[in-house]
Amino acid sequence: MLILICVAVATIVVLPALGRYGAYIVYAVTIAAIGALALNLLIGYCGQISFCHGALLGVGAYAAGNFGNAGQDMSISLLAAGVVTALVSVLVGLPALRLRGLYFAIATLAAQFILEFLFRLLEPLTHGVAGLMIKPAPFLGMDLSNDRGYAAISIVILVASLIGVSRLLRTDLGRRFILIRDSEMVARGMGVNVALTKLWAFAISGFLTGIAGGLLGFTTRIAAPEAFEIALSVDYVAMIIVGGLGSLPGALIGAGFVVLLPEAVQRFGESLGAATQTSAIREMVFGLLIIVFMIYEPRGLYALGGRLARRLRAPFRRAGAASQLAKSEGVN
Amino acid sequence: MFILQLIVAGLAVGSVYAIIALGIVLIYKCSGVVNFAQGGYAMLGAFFTYALTTAGLPSAAALVVSLLLMGVVGALTQTLILRPMLKAPVVAVMMATLGILIIFRAICLLIWGPDQIGFPKLFPDGSIEVGGIFMTYNYVAAFLLSAVLCGAFLAFYRYTPLGLMQRCTADNTRAALAVGIHVSNQVTIAWTASAMLAGLGGSLLASLNGLSLGLSNIGLVAFPVIVLGGMTSLPGAVVAGLILGVLQAVTDGLLTPAIERVLRDYTEIYSVGALQQVIPYALLVVVLLVRPQGIFGSKESERV
Amino acid sequence: MLMARGVTIRFGGVVAVGGMDMDVHPGEIVGLIGPNGAGKTTFVNAISGTYVPNAGSIRWQDEDLVGRTPNRLARMGVGRTFQNVASLSDLTVLDIVKVGRSVRGAGGGLRDLFASGRRQDDELAQKYLEPLGLADHRNTPLQMLSYGHRKAVDIARALAGEPDLLLLDEPVAGVAPAEAFALAGFVKKIRDLMGCAVVMVEHKMDIVMCTCDRIVVMAGGVKIFDGSCAGAQSDPEVRRVYLGHA
Repeated sequence: MLILICVAVATIVVLPALGRYGAYIVYAVTIAAIGALALNLLIGYCGQISFCHGALLGVGAYAAGNFGNAGQDMSISLLAAGVVTALVSVLVGLPALRLRGLYFAIATLAAQFILEFLFRLLEPLTHGVAGLMIKPAPFLGMDLSNDRGYAAISIVILVASLIGVSRLLRTDLGRRFILIRDSEMVARGMGVNVALTKLWAFAISGFLTGIAGGLLGFTTRIAAPEAFEIALSVDYVAMIIVGGLGSLPGALIGAGFVVLLPEAVQRFGESLGAATQTSAIREMVFGLLIIVFMIYEPRGLYALGGRLARRLRAPFRRAGAASQLAKSEGVN
Repeated sequence: MFILQLIVAGLAVGSVYAIIALGIVLIYKCSGVVNFAQGGYAMLGAFFTYALTTAGLPSAAALVVSLLLMGVVGALTQTLILRPMLKAPVVAVMMATLGILIIFRAICLLIWGPDQIGFPKLFPDGSIEVGGIFMTYNYVAAFLLSAVLCGAFLAFYRYTPLGLMQRCTADNTRAALAVGIHVSNQVTIAWTASAMLAGLGGSLLASLNGLSLGLSNIGLVAFPVIVLGGMTSLPGAVVAGLILGVLQAVTDGLLTPAIERVLRDYTEIYSVGALQQVIPYALLVVVLLVRPQGIFGSKESERV
Repeated sequence: MLMARGVTIRFGGVVAVGGMDMDVHPGEIVGLIGPNGAGKTTFVNAISGTYVPNAGSIRWQDEDLVGRTPNRLARMGVGRTFQNVASLSDLTVLDIVKVGRSVRGAGGGLRDLFASGRRQDDELAQKYLEPLGLADHRNTPLQMLSYGHRKAVDIARALAGEPDLLLLDEPVAGVAPAEAFALAGFVKKIRDLMGCAVVMVEHKMDIVMCTCDRIVVMAGGVKIFDGSCAGAQSDPEVRRVYLGHA
């Protein structure tokens, strides 16, 4: 926890030296990490597979945009976006009270398309296909509407959410999430109110998603339907799986990976020219990596890192581990 | 008369949905894997057919060769990607199939570019008139071909020894193993058949609506179809495909104009956009909530 | 007290429990025994809200239990353990006990959000884990424990909900004999400690005899005996069902 805060502070301190592109990279990864954290809470900890995360981010962006354009402070707009998205998320989660696993995943797929459709339909709120322009807004009265400001805001919010979620997981509610993920039937039998617990998961995850979506909206200055399509949902699921299902650092690592990888391929491709080829190659690398991960390390980069670290340390530990093992066997 | 016209067009498109959905159900029954890449197979099949006809093959031969190629692709993806993932969690397998979809799209983008391509004519121009309803040969042929293929496939599944092994694997994998069925080969066969079905569906759909990367989205439309049909029922998928095809056609032709007229009178909303693309999903949510086992599916029970 | 009258549960055409009556008084340990397929677990599932009986009534402290969800029942003070315990969770023993504790209250479950609660942890461990011999394992993930230990954790979890009626579904099935007698001993200790009534489903006679105050014998979905342990051993009907001769 302390390390986390130190890293965050250090990043914010270094920000001015990073330049605009550097700052952009920082907030792109950070915002994605907030979104991934929200999704990991839902999928990785509560076991509810969702393929409508992209659309929910969109709800957050539109909500924050509308509040911001109405003259609200950015902080208020983000909170409002969180609340609105939490409500929509609970609505999306309602089928989860009756459906499980695969069936629910398909229901969220439907939610994704229905929300996309609503983005185009509800023109007074969303400006339809053209998209909603979002004016910069002050944050707590300060003018932070530049790349570095956004980066700083996102980092602070990410740290707060990480701390919040890790605390949440140590409450009775958090433990019930995990129990439901492991076995809904067992949880129900133990007397856990499964329906209510799930709705809490959707609400909390939705709140964070809304904030991430709001940040996306403010930083890109526009919320348009094509930015929140199913592909974005897939990206986010990829993030948490690549990073590690049900691990908090995993969400961060996955976000970094999925955001930076296309960026890197893009840079590489630009030196070659030809935009179509570049985006094709980017997609192909992304697809291949997903598959490779799914086959060889379905528990994600975080687990892979842990294993590597153990292997590196193993020669020093082996003697100790052996005696430990002997002791524990003796007890049993 | 207009509504009949719509229904006929809907049946033609719906029959294509049916064969694409059949493939998903086949794989799901056999291995419990939901193949999100089915649309990718459909798109790839259509591009193969396109490439072969532009290379000078007659359309019938192109279609057959493309189907064979798709069979190879299906078998390859199963062996290379799905087989090593036997014990992976459900989400991981779903994501792997999404990875396949992404790769297929990238390949097609790389070779054929992002733009809409005029698909070669598989069937002659012109139309026939039955009782005042006009049907282009395209639609008639698409409907007949998919109907024949669906029928042939269901018969194969029902009456041949290989079909019996497939059903056995789908019914109870462990029992299938116990009586000496090579289960993972059966799964490979299911993927092969499924990819071929998808390839044909994609080619037919491209002959109706033209060809672009967007064709891969058809795989997502297939989900309402299989849920409506009950996930594990092959005839259910066929019937549900037809229902959804008709529903979309009717929505496009009748419902959308009617709703828009009302909306324009009372609100500032001018257009409801592609309502027919959302209708299947709205229906899907309703079906899942009211009758999760679909029209033909059976309810599973659980034990404490 | 618990009062079950004419409880009937059918699965399709099969009558698993056909008109079962049973009373359980406060602070009493009742052994529910019978051969395989007698309907014991099904009957207990009906009391604990997993199944809804097709006919009959189940009342607990003058409230109707039929049709209540397990979480509602937990709040009314009815707790249970399971024949097959979950093994897949990477929650720790203490985590599971805390989940058990949380189901009795009506709170939203956020009480540990700001406090660290280490003292509470010690208290819980001492109260529920110590008596079951689990004190050393409080931070062990459930999936690392032996089967016997997991069964003990399940009991601790149910106890943490402070039930007034505890339903134990084959608490010693599949547990090594030495551990089994220890576990059975705990059941008595639990009752003395917490004053709750216990219904214990079991088909190991010796365990039941040394633990229970009263015995109810089921066969073919109905009650065939209700009385003292000694009475059960000499009852001809019980002997016929168990030993297969008249």
